[in-house]
Amino acid sequence: MDETILRVHSITKRFPGVKALDNIDFDLKRGEVHILVGENGAGKSTLAKVILGAYVPDEGEIFFEGQKVAFKTTRDALEKGIAAVYQEFTLFPYLNVAQNIFFNREPRNKLGIIDHRKMERDAAELLRSLNCEYIDVRAYVKKLSVAEQQMVEIAKALSYSPRIMVFDEPTATLSEREVESLFERIHKLKAAGIGIIYVSHRMQEFKFIGDRITVLRDGKKIGTVGINEVSDKEIVKMMVGRDISQVFHRSANVFSGEVLKTETLSDRAGRVKEASIVLNKGEIVGLAGLVGAGRTELAKLIFGVDPIGGGKVYIHGREVNVTSPVHMVKCGVGMVCEDRKRLGLAVNDSVAWNIMAVSLKKYFPRFIIYYNKAYDIVEKYKTQLRIATPDVLRKCKFLSGGNQQKVVLAKWLSMDTDILIFDEPTRGIDVGAKIEIYGLMDKLASEGKSILMISSELPEIIGMSDRIYVIREGRIVGECKRAEFSTDDIASQMLGIVGDAHAS
Amino acid sequence: MKKYLDSIKHSRTIYSFVGLMIMVVISSLTVNKFMTFDNVITIFRQASTLFILSAGLTATILMAEIDLSVGAASGFIGCVSAQFLKADLPVPMVFLLGMALGALVGMLNGFLVGTVKMPSFIATYGVSWVLAGLSVIVMNGAVIFGLPEGFTWFGTGYVGPIPVIVIIACIIVALVYFLLHRTTFGRDIYSFGFNPDAALYSAVPVNRTLYAAFILSGITAGIGGLLMMARLNAADATMGDAYGMQTIAAVVIGGTSLLGGEGGIVGTIIGALLLTIVVNVMNLLGISSFAQPMVVGLLILAVVMFDTYTRAMQEKLIE
Repeated sequence: MDETILRVHSITKRFPGVKALDNIDFDLKRGEVHILVGENGAGKSTLAKVILGAYVPDEGEIFFEGQKVAFKTTRDALEKGIAAVYQEFTLFPYLNVAQNIFFNREPRNKLGIIDHRKMERDAAELLRSLNCEYIDVRAYVKKLSVAEQQMVEIAKALSYSPRIMVFDEPTATLSEREVESLFERIHKLKAAGIGIIYVSHRMQEFKFIGDRITVLRDGKKIGTVGINEVSDKEIVKMMVGRDISQVFHRSANVFSGEVLKTETLSDRAGRVKEASIVLNKGEIVGLAGLVGAGRTELAKLIFGVDPIGGGKVYIHGREVNVTSPVHMVKCGVGMVCEDRKRLGLAVNDSVAWNIMAVSLKKYFPRFIIYYNKAYDIVEKYKTQLRIATPDVLRKCKFLSGGNQQKVVLAKWLSMDTDILIFDEPTRGIDVGAKIEIYGLMDKLASEGKSILMISSELPEIIGMSDRIYVIREGRIVGECKRAEFSTDDIASQMLGIVGDAHAS
Repeated sequence: MKKYLDSIKHSRTIYSFVGLMIMVVISSLTVNKFMTFDNVITIFRQASTLFILSAGLTATILMAEIDLSVGAASGFIGCVSAQFLKADLPVPMVFLLGMALGALVGMLNGFLVGTVKMPSFIATYGVSWVLAGLSVIVMNGAVIFGLPEGFTWFGTGYVGPIPVIVIIACIIVALVYFLLHRTTFGRDIYSFGFNPDAALYSAVPVNRTLYAAFILSGITAGIGGLLMMARLNAADATMGDAYGMQTIAAVVIGGTSLLGGEGGIVGTIIGALLLTIVVNVMNLLGISSFAQPMVVGLLILAVVMFDTYTRAMQEKLIE
């Protein structure tokens, strides 16, 4: 079983202005899960796309089963047996499952007419092999859940009888239960001798499914290691390029007094169930959980975006009637959203007005705006957060992700709320900006602000939090203090795996 | 520095301004009587109703909503006010009632869009039919002539060489300008227009802002209706009909995006002037009034085409 099916030799790929891949070597064995990891922009997706034939490399060679290959399109790679399951689905919502799986290569009878019966039989067969016989091959894809769609996507990939499958951040859109069943499938595919390349940046997943791990950074290969030979800290160090203690700096803090408390808080949609949490003055509390575990939903309840189904919210010990973000901001709560471009910013509006969006009424309570004063405030936060823009009237969409995030932070800093909810505050931004944001969080906490940080990145949550709550299926399933943090414990609580079942 | 932060709202308007200047230059070179004092005053007098009606509408369009009921509302409020005048109500009272009625229409639109969550296109279209129907009922099919002189002065009188209606239009435009660009309410409108979801998360009182914008649009429709009637010295159930589409044309030609956020009242004034000048020039040249709607339509298409093109170019340049 231990033979190499794919070998990538000194691949270089340039894009205008950047070397996306710089002299990369990579290999994959039969029946192995090889994890490809790195920060955003490290080149992991580019490497996957080169292997899949979506990009033609500028230099280097690819050997598939010992033979040199040069894919020009994804179709070339598919015919050799390299199939992909992308982060975003490529299915047609208004075609049924079978039609999607065999799209454009439907089985035909002698007259050249599509043989629907055979197509559906084959599709059902494929789904059965994935233990997904409950998916109706005649159902429109639109009607399926995200997880079911993912299974159809996998079935489609399998229908090419691949030797290699590439998963590109497959868990980004899945709920935890769906992640579990995906991992189960991956174990099965592995047992069937298929080589798997798994692109991800989620630490907590690696140990559950990976055999080997290759770390990329800035287009360069940092190293390939066996999953059991390294600790999480070492992986992070490889990814980030410096010691974890340099990335996360927390000053020692004394916490005094509860500022936020929720009591058996539930929403109306059943995604948050009786969540009770406490946030003290000067404390950073991490809320760890997978996507869909109810973390963002809990934040939206506290911030007054979604209606409360049951339970209470206390701020500074007083019960608050949570009605709207307008009211919650008055109570001293701010929220940095996960989806920066959709919810955090008006990307077509200027940096200046985005920064002023929340605090405008605080600075100008008498309705009339004085531009000189507004400009001074904007400049102050631009300098303080080192927002790189030639001009504060520039539209936000022309800023980098890190600078956009700083605009969002500036917006809330200028409001100066006591409580800040940070939902995935460092998603999609480069390491430099990340470190700045961590530094800012630490500073805010020592100034007596309280931060509730939601994150699916364990190193971040462990590095920054004073206390961590773990949320799963809408419930708070665990709580631990900084001294007791353990990556394995938190990860297994997030995934709902008890004891040492994850050691496999 | 003040101008610096201020300049953002004019970013797209500059094209409309250049268009207006070109139009003015060509007209004064080719049309004899165009650049006379009398004709300029005529243009402003003709444009004044459009100024007022489209001023409030600009606010709703900036929020990426639309108010199709402006024309019908102005007609309806004109008709009701004419009946009030017939009933010998004092003129200031009639003005106040007209504005209050406009605010009510705006509240209704705000309720349908903000609370019932209907698309504004459908909601205000429905409201405009209801109002047009009500106008016919109020007028009982007749036309009212001979309004009191104390009232018609607002539409036909002069202060020195300047028509009263032009002065009122300028005051209203200045007020709306102040509201949109110098107040927190105006910024809320822009925030909502650029991204309603982000506005919600930025603690902008979204529903209140939506209501307020529609109410503003209703009030300017009311004032526009009153002055329209004062200028005509008559009221007729169909007098507002032509303004329904013209007001939207003025706003769009002025560079305010139907997608929200971009543009402003200065552009709307330029758009209204452009529209009025086109019609004025055609009148001076003796071109049949039958051809006028077609020319206006072509103008709108040309402006939107130019806008789409320059936007694409701009994005390319910055990338």
